[in-house]
Amino acid sequence: MPAETYPSDDPTASTDDRPVAVRTTGLTKRYGDDVLAVDDLDLTVYEGEIFGFLGPNGAGKSTTIDVIMDYVRPSSGSATVLGRDAQAETRAVHERVGILPDGYGLYERLTGRKNLEYAVALKGADDDVDDLLDRVGLESAAADRAVGGYSKGMTQRLALAIALVGDPDVLILDEPSSGLDPNGVRLVREIARDHADRGKTVFFSSHILSQVEAVCDRVAILDRGRLVAVDTIDGLREALDTGSTVTLTVDAVPDRLTLGELSGVDDVAVDGRTIRVRVGEAAAKVDVIDRARDDGAAILDVAIAESSLEDLFSAYTGGSPPDRDAPVTRGPEADR
Amino acid sequence: MTRRVQLTIARKEFGDALRSRVVWAIVAVIAAVSSLSAALPLLVPEADVGAGPEAAIGGASQFAGLLVPIMALIAAYLSVAGERESGSLKVLLGLPPSRGEVIVGKFLGRGVAVAGGIAAGFAISGAVTAALYGRLPVAAFLATTALTVLLAVSFLGIAVGISAVTATRARAMTLAITAYLGLTLLWDLAPNGVHLLVTGRLPGAGVPAWFLLVRGLSPTGAYNALVQRTLLGDAGVAAATGGPAPAFLSPVVFLAVMVAWAAVPLAVGYLGFRRADLS
Repeated sequence: MPAETYPSDDPTASTDDRPVAVRTTGLTKRYGDDVLAVDDLDLTVYEGEIFGFLGPNGAGKSTTIDVIMDYVRPSSGSATVLGRDAQAETRAVHERVGILPDGYGLYERLTGRKNLEYAVALKGADDDVDDLLDRVGLESAAADRAVGGYSKGMTQRLALAIALVGDPDVLILDEPSSGLDPNGVRLVREIARDHADRGKTVFFSSHILSQVEAVCDRVAILDRGRLVAVDTIDGLREALDTGSTVTLTVDAVPDRLTLGELSGVDDVAVDGRTIRVRVGEAAAKVDVIDRARDDGAAILDVAIAESSLEDLFSAYTGGSPPDRDAPVTRGPEADR
Repeated sequence: MTRRVQLTIARKEFGDALRSRVVWAIVAVIAAVSSLSAALPLLVPEADVGAGPEAAIGGASQFAGLLVPIMALIAAYLSVAGERESGSLKVLLGLPPSRGEVIVGKFLGRGVAVAGGIAAGFAISGAVTAALYGRLPVAAFLATTALTVLLAVSFLGIAVGISAVTATRARAMTLAITAYLGLTLLWDLAPNGVHLLVTGRLPGAGVPAWFLLVRGLSPTGAYNALVQRTLLGDAGVAAATGGPAPAFLSPVVFLAVMVAWAAVPLAVGYLGFRRADLS
């Protein structure tokens, strides 16, 4: 279920001898006297991981990124990127970071290509603009039109291309999927995975659980400016001690159903032609389907409910569950 | 690194200024208005406005003193605030450029565009003036052109400075209009007010020399003083004060005033922008 981890990169081994990509230390940001946007945040993102930054809107995710990018100055505490201070060594940081900011704009009178060329020139990079356009799925004809006429999805793809300029060591994506259709959402995941596969770091901020869940090695949950959890997706799920529910619709329930013997399966319930299986491990879901077939059932439909993380999220953030852009139930191939 | 970044930004800003047509408006307005003011004495012979090319240049500078500040403010009042409101500043500052480089690049790029527009407009009116009068006092003409470019640079510094300390387009516009009214229109009243306070009456035919200094402390006032000095020499001051020009009315003082009006707002704008939270 979560993205594959790298052989040398066990996400649970949070020891500090691993190279650090992004670190905040006691980071606090106040606006005026009453708004505490980020409250004493200690966060460590290691090189080569896809780090999910999850929380409801207004939790302080963008403010944290704003400090990391030196758009705003911390009230106290600090942020570093690749060992460089975000406020004191801004240029050194920005030469190695690519950012898709929250609430950004592009130059509407310029073409997409000109926007991108400007970013390449300012970064002193030697990227081929057509390669970048290709990576984010923007066609040449579209790239030669003024950005003022772009749809939200096209704008987002262009902004993503700008973030990729110079092949940054740290890619920071703030709500990268907003405005994108399902193909675009998948593209963001592919770009994140591809980036991490080459040993680079992705810092992926979202209020949409399923997007973070699908791609991230580790996740931090932020609520009202405070860090409430940091763990792997599986770790978070185990912490709540409820797994997923796999619901199989079959032609006929086999007489001898051996699903209960599988490791990772907590509970099996049969109702007519429907088999509901509670699993505690992600890997068990595929095993359940295979075993049901082996037992002689022809599977007509599969649905998997991932309520646990939402429950966890609600428990941590004390409110309503985060938006889910994907339905709660979906086929097992949805993430791949 | 830093020079390359500044020039890259300046080049883009130059292109933006050309695209926005404000530069073409400058060329057209300067050319039309100053050609017209050159032609006026010939078209209306009984109008007592003098009748040489020097007078024509003087007339053109009067219009320029009113129009160039507006055009320079329009060319740059959104340079930073517009990007801040649209969010493109986040993309720009997410790249290597520092906030200082952004300010310098914008000032340079728009400055070159506006200066080019003024020079082109004056070149046209210079040709018209020469054609109408059969001669052109080249030194005085070039000096007036250069002074008009300097006037534009002063107001560009003010405009970029305003833009750097404002977060929205609306606020930048309010400040730009305030700057225009205050520095070109209301400033003329300031010396009169001071005169009234000091002497108990409004200035009459002869004014004290300090009166001319106060009048020349705005960019437009300094511009007018310098153009007058260029065209008439010391005679203008002598006629106004009835005596020789004191050292504090030397052209260097007024040049310094114009440079300061470019540099100080720019520096203040930068200091405010450097500290600002952009979110």
